[in-house]
Amino acid sequence: MKALTQTELETFLHALQPAWDVRAPIRLSDGTRALGRLEEGPLALLGGRIPRKPTDVFFAQQEKVFDALPDGSFRQEEPPQKPLFVLGFTAEDLECLEFIDRFFSSGFADDIYLRKRSGAVIGGLTGKCGSAGELLRIAGGTCDLELVFDGERFIVAAYSEAGEKLEAAMTCAESGASLEDLRRASEALPQDNRRLLEQASALLIAERVPDAFWAEIGERCIACTGCNLVCPTCTCFGVQDWRYPTHIERSRMWDSCQLDAFMREASGHNPLGSEALRTRRRIHHKLAADLRRWGHLTCYLCGRCDTTCPTGIGIVAVAREMVARHAGETARLQG
Amino acid sequence: MPRNPSSNSGHTRADSLYIPATCRIEAVSELTPQEKLFRVSLPDGRPLGHRPGQFVQVSLLGWGEAPISVASSPTREGYFELGVRQAGTLTSAMHRLEPGDTLGIRGPFGNPFDLERMSGRDLLLISGGCGLAPLRSLIQYCEDRPEQFGRVCILYGAKSPADILFKEEIRTWEASASFACATTVDNLPGGACYEGQVGQVTRLIPPLEIDAPRTLAAIVGPPVMYRPVIDELKQKGLTEAQIAISLERHMRCGVGKCGHCTIEHLYCCSDGPVFWLSEVSGLRGAL
Repeated sequence: MKALTQTELETFLHALQPAWDVRAPIRLSDGTRALGRLEEGPLALLGGRIPRKPTDVFFAQQEKVFDALPDGSFRQEEPPQKPLFVLGFTAEDLECLEFIDRFFSSGFADDIYLRKRSGAVIGGLTGKCGSAGELLRIAGGTCDLELVFDGERFIVAAYSEAGEKLEAAMTCAESGASLEDLRRASEALPQDNRRLLEQASALLIAERVPDAFWAEIGERCIACTGCNLVCPTCTCFGVQDWRYPTHIERSRMWDSCQLDAFMREASGHNPLGSEALRTRRRIHHKLAADLRRWGHLTCYLCGRCDTTCPTGIGIVAVAREMVARHAGETARLQG
Repeated sequence: MPRNPSSNSGHTRADSLYIPATCRIEAVSELTPQEKLFRVSLPDGRPLGHRPGQFVQVSLLGWGEAPISVASSPTREGYFELGVRQAGTLTSAMHRLEPGDTLGIRGPFGNPFDLERMSGRDLLLISGGCGLAPLRSLIQYCEDRPEQFGRVCILYGAKSPADILFKEEIRTWEASASFACATTVDNLPGGACYEGQVGQVTRLIPPLEIDAPRTLAAIVGPPVMYRPVIDELKQKGLTEAQIAISLERHMRCGVGKCGHCTIEHLYCCSDGPVFWLSEVSGLRGAL
């Protein structure tokens, strides 16, 4: 297998730029890591998952729906001039991306998302590249190309024709590298949080979580919306028109189910009229409603909401509290 | 699992889900001081292709977009009508429009009334407030295809005599051999000249003679109306599988993407707005 040093990988990414729009983890001038273009900051491949949701490459915080021109015509964003190569997804991020690909494609296909997503080549970045050098789970697929850091070099695994083409263009010294040991270590990573979510999901579906629990969790929510803004599977958006002298722009921007106005109607009716209901909605949607709609949970444990929430009510924290308080009770009731 | 998108989405452009078709306002009439009826035509007189119970996303460029139920039947060709209450910024801007002005339309969207299942059955059509606007599409359909349905009974409740929508049309329905029709108002302000019934719309149900196994009901109204009306219908022997309800949510996109209209695992815009009660009665926040 090919294995590239950081310098070789950086050289490769720069060499791609004339033909590709390359996005990779970079360090911004304020010190944060983000998926960006190479000219926007130095590469920062190591350090774990990117703090922002990586799916924002295809579903941006604010993006144009169309410009309405005075002659009555409409103008949309042009498709990308160069194909996108986005490197930097963790295994969990890739699962999130796979889900929102299906979400935006199902039923009425969302052309704004698909215009950006179509033709993009996705690179996973896994292995020993956690924030403290710890092993991040190996994806083993679900992307075109995976770079697995073994502590010294990035071992290359291609999973699609597009990935194989990029791999063929990489130059590095003969390595004799293998993913065997890393794969075994990856498979041995603990799955405790996955089991926790599944337990919480079962409690929600069995309606074993009382309203008082949500009232208490909701009390702790300060409606900062951080949980939604960093979540790679949160896809809710609002729509707004902006007036300019030459045209009217209709944009869509991320919205948050933790905001009071999320579902409020012009009549005043608000199906999510309390923080308890809104907090329940956020958790229930990922762990119960989506299970019924899509056949699986839509939290893939990327960890961002738990890291971001200033009051400690990210999804794993809430699931842990839910299970600690109500799982025993359920077992008693079922027993 | 998700239902298929509406097959009647003829005016959603093939190249973009979100670009509206520019339509012309043919006529505007005042229904009440708060509600207006807009008669709209598509370019080249194309039919909207809707079914009763569906909605369109109405665009006013610079103001935004909102879901509005289609208030006319597809059997009335060459135009469609929208009954709009002045409630927010977009609907206020709409109320300033005049014949000849244009507005944008996407759709029709959503799950309509199940006309196939309603065929040959007695219908009990119950609405409150501006819920009569979407139900009017079904009422007109029944009016134009009387042979398709059994007895059709229309019950309507408004806040006050001044709030009654489609007053002239209601008189036509009352006089029609095809329909039984009763209207009531919640309150009768002092000095109001009104000879009809006073009280909640639920009061109109107990006196009805209903052949329950043969009857299907449809309810469209404000959120507070559903539970008491459903309770009365159950008293009459109707099951949840015989009661259709149309739910209101503020759909931003109309196509199951923006997330503002979710009811647990369902999207009101694409799985609804018309549901059989049996599909949603156990879902938190549906009613």
